Amino acid sequence: MSAYHEAILVVEDDSQIRNFIKYTIEKEGFHFWGCSNAQNAMSLLVTENIDLLILDLGLPDYDGIEVIKKVREWSDLPIIVVSARDQDQEKVLVLDAGADDYVTKPFSANELLARIRVAIRHLYRSGEMKSNFFEVDSLRIEFDTRTVTLDSTLVHLTPNEYSLLTLLAKNAGKVMTTDTILKEIWGVNYGSDTQALRALMAGLRRKIEQTPGMPHYIITEIGVGYRLRDA
Amino acid sequence: MKQQKITGFQIIFPVLILILFLGCATAIGLFFQSQNISETNIVIIYLLFVLLTACLTEGFAYGILASVASTFAFNYFFTEPRYSLQVNNSGYFITFFIMTSIAVITSALTSKIKKSANIALEKEREMRALYFLTNQLTDATDYEGIAEIIVRTLSDILQERVACLCFDDNGKPQNSFVQCVSKEHVIYRETQNVNDIRYRIAELRTAYFEGEEFCDWPIYGRESVLGVIRIPKSCNMNLTESQKKIIHSMIESTALAMDRLREEKARHKSNQEIMQERFRATFLRSISHDLRTPLSGIMGTAEILMDQTKDNKETYEMISAIYKDADWLHSMVENILNITKIQEGKLVPRKQYEALEEIIESALEHFKRRDIEHRIILDIPEEVIIIQMDGKLMMQVFINLLDNAMKHSDKDSEIVVRVLLLPVTDQVEISILDSGEGIFDEDIPHIFQMFYASKNLRKEEKHGVGLGLSICQAIVLAHNGTIYAENRKDKSGAVFRILLPLH
Repeated sequence: MSAYHEAILVVEDDSQIRNFIKYTIEKEGFHFWGCSNAQNAMSLLVTENIDLLILDLGLPDYDGIEVIKKVREWSDLPIIVVSARDQDQEKVLVLDAGADDYVTKPFSANELLARIRVAIRHLYRSGEMKSNFFEVDSLRIEFDTRTVTLDSTLVHLTPNEYSLLTLLAKNAGKVMTTDTILKEIWGVNYGSDTQALRALMAGLRRKIEQTPGMPHYIITEIGVGYRLRDA
Repeated sequence: MKQQKITGFQIIFPVLILILFLGCATAIGLFFQSQNISETNIVIIYLLFVLLTACLTEGFAYGILASVASTFAFNYFFTEPRYSLQVNNSGYFITFFIMTSIAVITSALTSKIKKSANIALEKEREMRALYFLTNQLTDATDYEGIAEIIVRTLSDILQERVACLCFDDNGKPQNSFVQCVSKEHVIYRETQNVNDIRYRIAELRTAYFEGEEFCDWPIYGRESVLGVIRIPKSCNMNLTESQKKIIHSMIESTALAMDRLREEKARHKSNQEIMQERFRATFLRSISHDLRTPLSGIMGTAEILMDQTKDNKETYEMISAIYKDADWLHSMVENILNITKIQEGKLVPRKQYEALEEIIESALEHFKRRDIEHRIILDIPEEVIIIQMDGKLMMQVFINLLDNAMKHSDKDSEIVVRVLLLPVTDQVEISILDSGEGIFDEDIPHIFQMFYASKNLRKEEKHGVGLGLSICQAIVLAHNGTIYAENRKDKSGAVFRILLPLH
């Protein structure tokens, strides 16, 4: 009945939460692998065919960030961090270390599943030929002709707005940190002037969103960055 | 009195020496003559005694006097005619002239050497005293210690009861000062006219200030006056230049030591503050972490059970109550953590440029998890409003206000979030309007008070701890804004308005 068959490794030292995640993902058809510390996680990642990693940061032996860095040395495996740490800096640190997503505890099953689906889609997309368009709901971007349409109507974007939108589209579903966006659009030496980014984002939203305060496509993660909806 | 005595003695003593040496030289000369030893030797003997006189007396005067006197004595006793100042052989004039010249030159040279030796000696004494003082000052661990050391040292040098009054960190003279009364003993005395001293020292343009009992020499630190050295007035009047110089050097050393101590104290204090801050942050983080983890376990498990018992309405209701309570507990934990920060006065917003619409968006997103049962209407101007603020904190304000509005109005009723630009006052107004029963007039003045709970609760309403709104107020105040509550004029319902400065 379910469409999924990927193996997910859940590294979490709290058994109750591990069970909750196990139930949630098995119900969707995923294979569950679980362990409670970083060392076991590393050996499971090497021996088993794991497609996605769900990682708690506060592990008894190593910090989760260390695990992310280690894994990133040899694998592009999607990593979703699940943590009770809710400091913005922590999130940015984790995302910049190479994690694909971040879910703060307490989280709901649906929230987690949505993030898993995004990550799995990315997993397959990266294997495919580079697509020359991006589409979500009625928003469509043609990368070749640099055109953006909404409900088949052409949307006129400034070059910076277009760069911002394509940057988010190429990482659709993933949070792009403010610093990353600033670097990609304005260059390394621009610094961290968020004012320009906020204004650019507001301008873009006014062109593609119905209500600026209730955006449909681009979601704000306060203190962290932005994410383009991917489904 | 002491000084005058010394001066009298200083006049009589060299004169005595002069007469004595002149007598000796003459006696030896007479003896030589009786033995028929040549006159040249007698001249040499005179020269020798002139030299000795210059050595034993202070200054040029006595040496020159001795030279002239010995020439006359030689003339009187040994040249023909003897026992008179007349001279038969004019060749003696050359002898006299050379004799006087040699005597004057040697005595001048001697006194000059003596003078420089004296200066060197004095310098050395100063250096030694200063070295000793600095040495001791390095070991001092507090102002009192420094003050005691300096008064002891200065009292020893000046032979007087020197005192020292320290100023505190705010530049105010302390209430007591230390005075040295004998070699071993210091006493603490009460400071008179504290403010007077402070003012006078601040206005001071000369080296010291003359008071009734003491002359106060200020100790200038790098940033402010650190204290005053109090030298008894009678002694201060008779200070020699070199004594003044040494007092200055010693005050300099004291200032250095006090500055060092003050810096050490400041460094220690800031270190302690950093440690405390770090400890507090870790503590809060670990508490919030430790509370969130079991809560997510409870909420997650409840979610599974809700999923499994969809068909059994009774069980489902019970489990969903567990879920709701856990969720409520979660928001409570967040609020308590926030209030802890606020209460410690440590709520320093980390301001960045944020778009107001994004903050409102994120706050609304927060409620998406539990289904929004109200109709939320956004009324936001076309213009982008970008303000410097702490996005996370401001989001908490909107979450609390929206949560409040949802709690106090019926399902499916309207909640309006309205943003208005007020260009005249350079402000932005954010209002959250609900369609509930509104706020009781008697509650309005207290509604932002911490732990305030209205007595007029509607039935079945969940009783909060009364933190949400006070957190809102604290956060808004930290952004130089204002927040107030009132009832809607157009219909039943409450309004919470926030005014934030645009720049």
